[in-house]
Amino acid sequence: MTELGDQGVQILAISPDPNEKSQELARKLHARYRFLTDQDLAVTRRYGLLHAHGGHKGQDVARPTTVVLDRRGVVRWLELADSIQIRPDPIDVARAVRQLPQ
Amino acid sequence: MIRYWPALVSVLLSIAAIAGYATLLRVPAIRNHPELYLLVFAAAAGIAGAATWRAARWPNFVALGLSVVLLILGGYFNFVLAKIPPAAAVLRVGEPAPDFTLPDASGAAVSLASFRERTPVVLVFYRGYW
Repeated sequence: MTELGDQGVQILAISPDPNEKSQELARKLHARYRFLTDQDLAVTRRYGLLHAHGGHKGQDVARPTTVVLDRRGVVRWLELADSIQIRPDPIDVARAVRQLPQ
Repeated sequence: MIRYWPALVSVLLSIAAIAGYATLLRVPAIRNHPELYLLVFAAAAGIAGAATWRAARWPNFVALGLSVVLLILGGYFNFVLAKIPPAAAVLRVGEPAPDFTLPDASGAAVSLASFRERTPVVLVFYRGYW
């Protein structure tokens, strides 16, 4: 996904876990790939992406989702998983980004 | 033991399905199609079942038992445990995404609105707590 960053696309990875990624890893990956923490899952809830008690210990987690927004903040591509095993293919995400109006 | 080669093939198929899925988990084509390992378990069960039908010997029963157990466990995981219940749709293609401000790994506040008119944004929500 880092090639997307090279194309001037900002990638924001959001999870409730603040310890998931260290600052060092975030710096190494790319300036345009940032890890955000949604600790109380407020944003996840507002986006309708809460998976209640979906964590291994029964805690609330987010359902894996990828959203592509254009420059006006409008949703242009959306993939919600109905299974914890599914992650969107980066190729599909890259294609969705390339098809955004410039 | 050569005449129990179907049982051996069945067991090897089951092991290969598990090992293959585990090692190729990072490959989207494999990870996003977990039903593939169920298909291989079913094939292993079919082979062992046919072998058991022809010769009711313990190696065939073992292979059949193993593949059926894996098929049931794999099916339960895939169709029950791994499923996320459907949720009310908030995001819709063509509609603006709700604005937010969240801290990044260094604690700095990042607001979604700050990217408007500048760059497209890809939001990746992931579970956390691995």
